[in-house]
Amino acid sequence: MTDANLLQLALRREQDIFEVRQRGREAAAALGLEHQDQIRIATALSDIGRQMLVHAPNVEVRFTVTGEPPNLRILMHTKGHLDGQTIAPVGRLVDVLELTSDGQGTTVMLSRRLPDDHVSAERVGEVKRMLASSAVASPLDELASQNEHLLSALDEAHRQRDRLEVLNNELEETNRGVMALYLELSSELEETNRGVVALYAELDDKSGQLRAASEAKTRFLANVSHELRAPVTSVIGLLRLISDPGSDPLTAAQAEQIGLIRASAADLLSLVNDLLDLAKAESGRLDPMWTQVDLGQMFKQLRGTLKAVLTTPEVELVVDIPEDGSWIESDEALLSQILRNLLHNAVKFTDRGEVSMRARCEERSWIITVADTGIGIAPAHHERIFEEFYQLPTRQKVRGTGLGLPYARKLVAVLGGSMSMESEPGRGSVFTVTLPVTRQP
Amino acid sequence: MDRVPILKIGPVLLVSIQVDMQDQMALALQEDLGQRIVDTGCRGVIIDITGLDIVDSFVGRTLSTIASISRVLDAETIVVGMRPAVAITLVELGLSLNGIRTALNVERGMELLARRADEDDFAEPDFVDEHEISKSP
Repeated sequence: MTDANLLQLALRREQDIFEVRQRGREAAAALGLEHQDQIRIATALSDIGRQMLVHAPNVEVRFTVTGEPPNLRILMHTKGHLDGQTIAPVGRLVDVLELTSDGQGTTVMLSRRLPDDHVSAERVGEVKRMLASSAVASPLDELASQNEHLLSALDEAHRQRDRLEVLNNELEETNRGVMALYLELSSELEETNRGVVALYAELDDKSGQLRAASEAKTRFLANVSHELRAPVTSVIGLLRLISDPGSDPLTAAQAEQIGLIRASAADLLSLVNDLLDLAKAESGRLDPMWTQVDLGQMFKQLRGTLKAVLTTPEVELVVDIPEDGSWIESDEALLSQILRNLLHNAVKFTDRGEVSMRARCEERSWIITVADTGIGIAPAHHERIFEEFYQLPTRQKVRGTGLGLPYARKLVAVLGGSMSMESEPGRGSVFTVTLPVTRQP
Repeated sequence: MDRVPILKIGPVLLVSIQVDMQDQMALALQEDLGQRIVDTGCRGVIIDITGLDIVDSFVGRTLSTIASISRVLDAETIVVGMRPAVAITLVELGLSLNGIRTALNVERGMELLARRADEDDFAEPDFVDEHEISKSP
């Protein structure tokens, strides 16, 4: 079996000899050595211990069980020198007595064969525990060990404190860095903040100016159109009088010129009316009359009026009449105006193919599409067509004020909906109006 | 520090060592015993070591010294009650208890001393033989 430590003791002064030899005797007894051998081992320990204490104040004593067959082996080590002659007689008490000396000191090894041929590890453990539990430390030993513990604890505390100090310093350093960063950041933020506030104020200012300008424009439009309407109306009335069959007859050339003047005046009147409508819608003074509107009915009426506008047989008007019970809460006149404008627009820019209008209900909204197969609009102009007086540069011959689409869009907004368009040059355009089924508060 | 008690029983001083003897104790015993011999005039000392389990060379030498001192002070020392294991160990150690007479127990020791006292009445006190423990009666 391998070496098994049983016990380790320190011999410091003469009184310890009694302890050591007593433990030696206990160990021998526990390992089954007979009484005589116990006495022999105790005596041997006593003699050698005394000899060693004469030369040096500290002797380490270690009890082990070792070898096969097992032996009780006792190692005694001292830093001092020991004369082999003085302990030689002890050799007669044990099986083996060896003395070895080196620079580190002197070690005496005592060995006694145990009676049992086999000593199990469990047995060794038992003996070890027994010896440990019966250990009686002298007050001085107790004090010495306590002192050692205290010293090591103190050492540990010192080390801890040093570590803490280092950590603390590092933390402080980091803290300083963080503070500096924080200050820098906060000053930057403040700066930015000031900039933002200034910008915001500027924006506010600008938007106020814009609002004022827009209001002025609206006012101007309303006034101008209002002032223009009266003279135009009277021009038209007078022209009607001149061309009345009851008046003086006109020459053919005069009649033709009068006809041209009437057409121009009528255009002018419709332009002025459109402007007036737009100005009303923009000024927010347009108050919708909310009623339940039957979409099917409205589509039928629109189809009727639009048929009259179609000038060429190459364009087909397709109106999908929604089924009965297609109601929407809206202003009938405004909604009709919107769709009429869209259809007029579509017809105006379509030479051949078809103009179609459809409605479908989706997620509590009516989606009405007006599609044509006309000239289409390049993406660059998609937004601009909703601006007042904007007309596509391609079709000079098409007559119109350029107010139809912007007005329709304004009205859709007034009714709580939205309008969008998709178009591709040469393929036609699709205008989509989305309106809530019921009025949105 | 503990001291070993020394009892006077008639003309004999009885020292009974019941515990492991420490060095200081052994030296103190030497002094105390010498003093008591002088004080009492006793001519016999019995040292009972029944209580000693272990007698190492130091204790052996101490016993020898005590015996020598007593003899110089005209008192005979008899060590009694030695255990067989102790005896064997002492022999194996090659330790001879010079100048010490031994007896099996206190009673035999007293007898031995009484006999000697009688002899002393007639004869000059002879010098005590040196006995080795193995030859003890």
